[in-house]
Amino acid sequence: MIEFDQVSLALGSFRLNDVSLTINRGDYYFIVGPSGAGKTVILEAIAGLHRPRRGRILLRGEEVTSLPPEKRRVALVYQDYSLFPHMSVIDNVGYGLRMQGMGRADARREVAGLLTEFGIAHLADRYPGTLSGGEQQRVALARAVAVKPDILLLDEPLSALDPITQEKFILDLQRLHREDDLTIVQVSHARREAHLLATRIAVIIDGSLVEEGEADVVLNRPRSREVASFVGIENILDGAVVRNEDGHATVDLGGQVFEAVTDAPAGEEVTLCIRSDDIVLWVPGSTRSSARNTMTGTITRVVENGPVAEVKVDCGVELTAVLTRRSVRDLSLTAGTPVTLSIKATAVHVIRG
Amino acid sequence: MKAETLSGDRLPGDKGVLWWKEHRGWHMDRCIVWFCIMGAVIVGITVLALANIAMKELADPAHLFKVAMSSEVIGSILLTFGAGANAVLLLVIFGTPLAYVLARSSPSRFKGAVESIVDIPLILPHTVAGLLVYLLFMRRGWLGAPLSEIGLAFEDAYPGTVVAMLFVASPFFINTMREGFEKVPTHLENVARTLGAGTFTTFRTVTLPLSLRHMFNGAILAWGRAIGEFAAVIMIAYYPFIISTLIYYSFTTDGIHTSRSIAFVVIVVSFAVFYLLRRMTRYLGRYDDRV
Repeated sequence: MIEFDQVSLALGSFRLNDVSLTINRGDYYFIVGPSGAGKTVILEAIAGLHRPRRGRILLRGEEVTSLPPEKRRVALVYQDYSLFPHMSVIDNVGYGLRMQGMGRADARREVAGLLTEFGIAHLADRYPGTLSGGEQQRVALARAVAVKPDILLLDEPLSALDPITQEKFILDLQRLHREDDLTIVQVSHARREAHLLATRIAVIIDGSLVEEGEADVVLNRPRSREVASFVGIENILDGAVVRNEDGHATVDLGGQVFEAVTDAPAGEEVTLCIRSDDIVLWVPGSTRSSARNTMTGTITRVVENGPVAEVKVDCGVELTAVLTRRSVRDLSLTAGTPVTLSIKATAVHVIRG
Repeated sequence: MKAETLSGDRLPGDKGVLWWKEHRGWHMDRCIVWFCIMGAVIVGITVLALANIAMKELADPAHLFKVAMSSEVIGSILLTFGAGANAVLLLVIFGTPLAYVLARSSPSRFKGAVESIVDIPLILPHTVAGLLVYLLFMRRGWLGAPLSEIGLAFEDAYPGTVVAMLFVASPFFINTMREGFEKVPTHLENVARTLGAGTFTTFRTVTLPLSLRHMFNGAILAWGRAIGEFAAVIMIAYYPFIISTLIYYSFTTDGIHTSRSIAFVVIVVSFAVFYLLRRMTRYLGRYDDRV
């Protein structure tokens, strides 16, 4: 559907280096990476707004490297919505149809149903400057899908919305992806969005593709420390395998020993990645669990964040655990409380080398 | 703080930068008061000059009326305004694309050089600007020679007046227009392109409508600069008399009395025309940019 074949391009001092990736029809594809990594540049290159210095871009099996944007049949929604401020909502949504040769009246009739579908029919004659962020976002999305593209490009579409509007918008995107058989490519920073929406993920850092694959694999079992850090794994610890018996490794982290599942041989330096929500805390004296890693420590800090709380525990190494606030309250966990902490061996992801 | 819009419209109850409301009523900002006093010096000089000439002219209304109604003055004003409008029209046609290219191109030595060339008429003495135009468009000039062969003469002719006005007014239009284009986010153009609009259609339907205000302001500035030109015009087209030339001619032949009356008529007409234009185009190209 969308193929980047060793694409390199330069924009001022920024360089996109030999990026190759394949996005299949029907994918909900996420491009993630730190600010300035080149995510939006990739999106704009798919749209035809940047011409590669080297390499090829293919859409629907045909090379489009030199094809102008208006002939690529892809729709783009920017983070800032980019609504035309001098046009009413209905004219914004109908703009693409008019560019396809439809008259103004016909275009208005054609998009009326779409406005209802997106719940913005009552805004038809309003101008973008008078709309809220959520309303603008819906108009931008309606405008993009009005031309019936089979590829939709979204540049951080949720970043400027409040949490409630984000939830509604995520439902809209899920519906569009499911019902309209769209291939969606979305640039995002938010791991939660990727968890909810992505089928595949590419991680871009400094203009290079550093990892690409199934969403679950990239998010939970990344291949490198920098990707682990970027996808939001809270506990990333360096150590060395001291023993490995049939893929069950013992990893020493400078005194604290972890058990993990890996085929890394004894002596190999590894990085352990532990999701904070895979950590269970036990108060001293309670029944032992089946988790292979059990250690005692002291809580150094409790940071409440919405319905959950981040609990920092010093147990030789500092670990972060995420608990519900109710758990924190029930167990009376505060800084200084001694706790026992357990981690399943299968919850410890090992990066080799 | 009031919500900013491109049009500078105020929200209801907003009395502007000078006033703010406290629980006991409206209060003035001292700093802004001082700024207003200092600014009043500039406005005051203009008002004094206008009051001075108005009082002298209105003391002899019969003479003023006679001068204002003379065909020579009316013809000259029409010629000046017409030639200025012609120059602005040419600037809109040729200057708008240049302004767009300058607004959208990346910084480079070449761009810097072109920007400097655009600004040359701003820094040159007007007589030098006139000489440049004359040397290029005179009967034996690089452009004047071939154009005169097809019947387009510039020396002491209307086209000469237009081309001199165009030369001195061009930076005012091009720079204002370029600022307007720079303010249109490229994201809007990108989205239009992905929705099926070609480069020119995007320019016509998105970029230009959002820059209309700047186009109008640039045209007004350029027109004002063009109709006020004297030195550059007389170098190539002493005849037919534009209004500046007529005032100078009248001053050197008839004395201060008649030239002052012509000047007063020009002031009144110019003020009326510019005021009307501003009123008529008050809402042109205005849009709420809180997007």
